Parts: sequence; C-alpha cells; structure tokens
Amino acid sequence: MKNRFILALLVLSLAGGFAPVSAETAPTAREAWIMHFDGDWKNASGLPEKAMLIGLQGLANRTAPRLYIAHAPDFPWEITVPLADFYTRKHGVKFTELKTADEALTLFAASAKGYVVWDTAVMPTLNVAYTIAGLEDAIVVTPALIPLAERHGLKRIDDLRGRYDGMTDTQIYADAKTRYFARCNPDMIMLMGGHAGDMRIPGIADWGVRQRMFFHDLSGNPAHKDEVALAMELYGAMNPGAFVFGWHSYVKDTEEQHTTLTSTFGLRMDGLQSLPNHSFNSQFTFTPGFKFQNQHHVDRDTKLVAEKKVYLAFVQSDGIGLGVWTKPGRGKLQLAWGAIPSWLEFAPAALEYFQESATPADYFIGGLSGPSYMYPNHIPADRFDGLMREAVRQMEVLDERIFEILDNSAADGNVGNADLTKETVDRYYAAFPNVIGFINGYGPARTFDLRNGVPMISYDYYIDPRRPREEVAADLQELITINRNRPYFCLVHVRESNDVNSLVEVTKQLHGPIEIVPVDTFMKLAASNQTYRTRYQLPTDPKHFEGFRRE
Amino acid sequence: MKRLRLGLLLVLMFAPFAAMAANPGFAGRWRLDPARSSALDGWHAADLVIALDGTQVALTYHMTWRTTKFSATNTVDTAQPQAIKDFFRIEQRHMAVYPRAGESAQVTAAWLDAGETLRVEAAVPVGISQGEGTMRVYNEFRLLEGGTTLLLIELHNTRHRPLVYTFTKVPAEAAAN
Amino acid sequence: MIAGGLLALGLATAAMAANPALAGRWRYEPTLSTALDGWHKMDLVIALEGTKVAVTHDMLWIRSKVVATNTYDTARAVEAKDYFRVEQRHMAVYPAKGGVTTATAAWIDGDRVLRTEAFTPVEVSQGNVTMRITSEYRVSETGDTLTVIELHSTRNRPLVYVFKKVPAEAAKN
Repeated sequence: MKNRFILALLVLSLAGGFAPVSAETAPTAREAWIMHFDGDWKNASGLPEKAMLIGLQGLANRTAPRLYIAHAPDFPWEITVPLADFYTRKHGVKFTELKTADEALTLFAASAKGYVVWDTAVMPTLNVAYTIAGLEDAIVVTPALIPLAERHGLKRIDDLRGRYDGMTDTQIYADAKTRYFARCNPDMIMLMGGHAGDMRIPGIADWGVRQRMFFHDLSGNPAHKDEVALAMELYGAMNPGAFVFGWHSYVKDTEEQHTTLTSTFGLRMDGLQSLPNHSFNSQFTFTPGFKFQNQHHVDRDTKLVAEKKVYLAFVQSDGIGLGVWTKPGRGKLQLAWGAIPSWLEFAPAALEYFQESATPADYFIGGLSGPSYMYPNHIPADRFDGLMREAVRQMEVLDERIFEILDNSAADGNVGNADLTKETVDRYYAAFPNVIGFINGYGPARTFDLRNGVPMISYDYYIDPRRPREEVAADLQELITINRNRPYFCLVHVRESNDVNSLVEVTKQLHGPIEIVPVDTFMKLAASNQTYRTRYQLPTDPKHFEGFRRE
Repeated sequence: MKRLRLGLLLVLMFAPFAAMAANPGFAGRWRLDPARSSALDGWHAADLVIALDGTQVALTYHMTWRTTKFSATNTVDTAQPQAIKDFFRIEQRHMAVYPRAGESAQVTAAWLDAGETLRVEAAVPVGISQGEGTMRVYNEFRLLEGGTTLLLIELHNTRHRPLVYTFTKVPAEAAAN
Repeated sequence: MIAGGLLALGLATAAMAANPALAGRWRYEPTLSTALDGWHKMDLVIALEGTKVAVTHDMLWIRSKVVATNTYDTARAVEAKDYFRVEQRHMAVYPAKGGVTTATAAWIDGDRVLRTEAFTPVEVSQGNVTMRITSEYRVSETGDTLTVIELHSTRNRPLVYVFKKVPAEAAKN
C-alpha cells in the first residue's frame, strides 16, 4: 500500500498535467494577459460571463501561463493583485490587460474547440458543463452568450438545456457520471459548491477545466442519503491520495460533514471553490536560489524553562491569503500562519510571495492534519502513513517545525468535540519524528500530550471576528483566571478575518503575568512544565456526528 | 473543602429568603433579545422557559447554534440547597471550559427584592486544559416592570465583566407552538 | 427577615480568613472602569482587622472632597447610619436622612473575594425606598489590581470599578 501511494503521487506529479515552468529556464520576460473582475457574481447578472471566462482561462493556460484574473478588493482571496505584481517583479511577466470578454475570446478562442450551453434555471448544469469543457476543450455559455461564442468561430459541442429539467441533483450527477466520469482525471475531482441561491463563485473552475476534473456539488449531509451514496461512489473510484478541490455547498451540508466524507476515503481536500488562478500559478516554480527560511526563534534542540507566567501564542490557520495577510496591522503581533502546503505543487510563487512579504512577527507552521485538509480520526489506517510522509516532505521544504491538526468531524461546541483519539495521537507522534510540537483544534479542544519533549497543545480559545473585542478580552482573562496553575499555556486560534490591530488592543486589556511568545517558543516552554492534563478523545465524549461507514 | 464551605455559606445565606413568594409573572417562555444583551459566543439564539411549582423553579434553556438545538433544565429550590447534575450555563462556546459530564453543581436559590428577583448561585464543576476546576456562577433573574422583560445578570468568579442578558416574553400562543 | 438573612450570611463566613492582599490604598482607573458620574477621582482605602473590613471612600469632585468609611463585619450583620455608596451624582437618589443601612460581608472563593451586601434606604422624589447593593471585591493574581463589581437591585447594568494599588510610600502622602 505504501508503494501504491508513492506511485500515485509520482503519477500525479508527472501525468497530472502540470509541468511547472522553472524560473531558471524561463525567459527573462514572459508575456501574459490579465483581466480585472468586479464583485458581481449574481446568477442573473455577473456570473454567466465570469463562468465563461474562468473556463476559458483553464483552456488558455493548458500549455502555458497566459491568462491571469485579478479580483475586486472584497474578493475572499485578497492576494490576486499583489501576486500579479510578484509575477512581474520576480518572473518577468509582462501583463497586458484585457478589458472585455470579447477581447479575451479574440485572443484565446483558439484554445477551445467549441462551447457547451448550460441552463441558469438548472444550476447543476454549470458543473456538468465544466466537466464537458475539460474533456472536450469547450467554454461554458448561457444562451445569451451563444452569439458571442459563435462570433469567435466556436461551434456547439453540447447543449444541456432541457436534458436535466425536473431531475434531482443525484439524478443529474449520476447521469454525468455515466457519461463522463471514466474519462476524467482520477487524481483530482472538483467539488464546486459554495454559495447557492442567487450567486456562485466558481473561481477554481479554471483549474478543474485544465486538469479535466469531474465537477459536482453533491452533499455530505447524511440526511441526503442518495447524494451521499453517489458522492461515495465517486470518491471511492479516485486514485489513492487524490485531491478534492473546491468546497462543499453551503446549503446542502457542512464543511465538517464533507471533510469527514473525503477523509473517510483518504482524499486530500484543497479549498476553496473561489480559489483563483491555479491554472496559471501551477506553471511557475520558485525563483532561482530561493529557499524557504522560516524565522525560527528557538533551535530545534533548545531547552527552555517556563516561568510562573501565562504564555499566550496566536495562530492563524485558515487559508493563508484569505483575509488578514494583506490588511494593516500584520507584524504588530507574533502570529503563526498555516501555509497551504499543496501550493508547493500548485502555486509555489504564492508561497514565495508570502515568505517574501513576511514580517519578523510572522512564523509558518505545517498542516492541516496532513498534506492537505483532512480529518485524521477518519483517515483509513492504510492511507495514514503515506499521506503523512508527504506532509513531512512538505514541512521540510517549507522549513516548518510545528504541525497543526484538526478533526472537526464530531465538533459542535460543548455538545460535540474536536479531539483526537489516542490511536490518532500515537500515529502522529510516530509519523512526525522531527517536529517540536503539535497543535490541535480550530475552536477549543481538549487533546493534550507531552512525549519526549514534544507537546501536543489544543487551542484554549478561538477568536470569532464578530465577537466584541471587550468580550474577547473578558473571555481570555477568564481562561487565565480559571487556569490557575503557573505556567499556564494558552494557545489562541485567530479566525482569518480578524483585524490584527484589534487583537493588539485585546492583549493590552489583559492583566496578569502575561507574556506573548512566538508559537515555537511556546512549544519549547510547554515542553518544560506540563501543567496541562494529558487527554484524548474519550468514548463518552459528546459527538455531534459519528462519521460515515464505507461499504 | 472549599466547595463545602461555599455550600454552607450558600445554605445559610439563602435559607431565610425561602419563604418569600415567587412572582408568578416569571412563568412562561422568554426569548433572548441579542440587541440588548451581552454577545453570545457561538450560540445564535436562546429561549428560557420558566416554570414555578411551590418552592421549585424549573429553568429550561433552549439553545440554537446553526442547526444544532440543545435543551437543558436546571430545577432549583428556594427552600433548600441542591446538588444538580449536569447543571447548564450559557457557555462561551469558543472557550476551552467544559461541563464535567455526570457531575453535580452545588446550587442555592432565593427570592429577593419582594419576589422580583430570583437569585441562583452555583458552584459548577468544569473541565479545563489544566484539569478540573470549579466556577462559581451567580445569577440574578429580574422581572422588570410591565412583566414583558426578564433580565439575567450573570457573574462568574472567574470573569470580571458581568454578562447581561435581556429576554422578552413570548406570548402564550406563540410559546405553545 | 432581611437582617436575619444577612446575619446568617455573616455567620457562615466568620471563620474564614481575610485576604490580606485587599488591604491598602487603591486608585480608581477610569479607562478600565464604568464611568463615574460627577466624581472625578476615587481612592479606596481598605483596612482589615479580625473579622472587620473598613472600606474608606476617598472621593473628589472638582474641589469637593468626601471621605466616608463603611465598616463591615464578616462575623455578623452591621447597621450603619451613614452608609456611603458611590452615587451617581446627577441622579436624584439621596441617602435617606436618618436611614439605617443593614450590611453583611463574607469571604468567598477560597477567601480571595470579599462579598458585601447592603440594604440601604434612599430618598427619591416619591419618598424613601430600599436599594440592595451586592458587591464583590476581587484582587488580581498579581495583587496590583482590584475589581469591584457592584449590582444594584434597581439598576439593570452592573457597575465595574477597577482600581490600581497605590504603593505604600505614595499612599502615606
């Protein structure tokens, strides 16, 4: 099984269709085109054209990075403009702006062989159309866009209008599976969910089209038995270690349910559905001579001794590039960041950009739970070690020494839990012999351990960005009061949309023998005096969701 | 030992008030008004149903977080202190402070202010990252003039910022649905 | 009835030891506290002697200086003719002339916290009424901060006053 997994990764990197352009071999100047999108993703207005252009981007970037999309300031991924600047500075990319869809088609219609019509009244047809687009080199259009496509010489390849009228999502995707799945990429599948209702943001569709993925938004909600059963058929047919790109449907299921489902098959979840430009980003490597150098505050073998203090450390582990990185205030608070490890393969320039723009207060950690986002309590035992070997490799490249774990499958505040079984903890300690510490949780959790000088610390607090700052300060102060033993190690998770300046103000309101330390220092201090109780998930702990059973 | 002393204190503190009559206006279903309350953490909505039976007061919390619904009842007695198993408090869900399942809180209750205030004080066992602790939770449920608003002031011995929750009476018809 | 209850409260805690960290002079920190109304400055001077706790309010409003002491006893309920509360000076709520306040005190939370409860008669435009004031005096872990949480039976918003310890030398001056 181990060999099978390594082989899968090898196949993925060689045959998956991405052939990164090394900056060492790239020309000093590279021509590319850029489009600036506004923030209108409504089905009735902005979506149809954007959906067409994003699909076109996947085709235009099939063999070379040619088309890049910069998004509006309020777009979830706020790095698209700074990253374009990085490509210009570091990779010699000379962007020419395309202002209209007509201009884009004039330039790139030749990348397509035709068009597929999707039906705005039956939204799953957009996903089916994208699947066809990848397989047949098509763009996806609504009826209103047919004239535009035909003006650029594109012929109708398929028309989904009427084919799926009155059918359930299960019936639609079952039909699509029959027609297309066997020809789709067995190493990558697209979960194109996210928003429902009157808007969609299929930002990552370029990547799905380029890589010829099967698109769907089937539910992981156990209440939707038919959809879950079909999703399990699809996931069960993927190669070991395959990726699930995109994100769950906000109206059908929860992140927790769907990540539990993908983890049950040992698949790697890489969000979000809005993530842009993977078809472009994947074709670059690091600049010549670049090497990740994390800003460690302690040597790997350093031994520190905790004083009778309260030690606080802050971690932001949501997708880096979402939210706070580009906002004012970064650098004023020691903050650890969960870099997205799969971007080593799919967006290395973005990782280099983060490294380049890091302040002395920024520190990178590995995770989440594996080489991508996974729930370890549900990863099949025979897949665990192979996945974690890839995570270890990623950490070595990224110069990371702390690994973060999250299993929210059973989480639901105090009526659930986000803890790891002892068996899972045992596996992590065995799989990561060189880390100086593990972090567990997202919201608060209760898994703690200390083995051979390596602590596993769960978050004691999660800062909800909507919570009034005075209540955040009161919450933290209450934790400091109720955990009376000194030293007290309080690990705090910072939601990505929190404003760093406001966090600094919160820390100023705290009282006591408090010291804010970088998370690597925190781990070394926590190793010196275990005032936290060793604990794992207990069979009696409340569980919001038990998980899925593979037949 | 400390718990016993607190328990003794609470017994003696509240015993003389036991005979004070409850205001029947407390009974019924009350809905949290978030705009006039301390911010909930995690929870989105809360109903409080109060039932009076002699010296017993049943406080039932109906909590909602996304699709999660959770209900729990604390039945306190103004005539005597009690040990209440799995005592419920409106917890801050993003804090690592957990109820200790199956354990009991030492609880006292008394009517104050001519029956306009119900005071409940509980020594609640909690689990924290350092092991086990006890949180003293002090509640005053106050029926405000007009009988349509219920105020809950909550102090924790571990928290210096009081929590203030305002509830509005749910009309009987709506409450029945 | 009230006196009986307060007496019971006092008896329950008589044996508990005082928290010596509470003693000393404490200075009101406006940026961390509920706003005072009228008063500009406030010091608390707390003295401990056996079961007695003397809480002296050293108040300043422009050039008006008021110094008043409430002495509690954790062994018994006490009655006071001139009980002082940090009043909101722009509210027409006055100490009732000749009124007697009944107050109790107890050490709680492992003797770290002093809780007091006073039933104090006040005069309002409609006559005299009784206000219940329940307070907790909490000293911080580092001993340099005192938080006083004060609930009034007549006020829906708790008052939270934060004080910083005045070093002994400075307190003498």
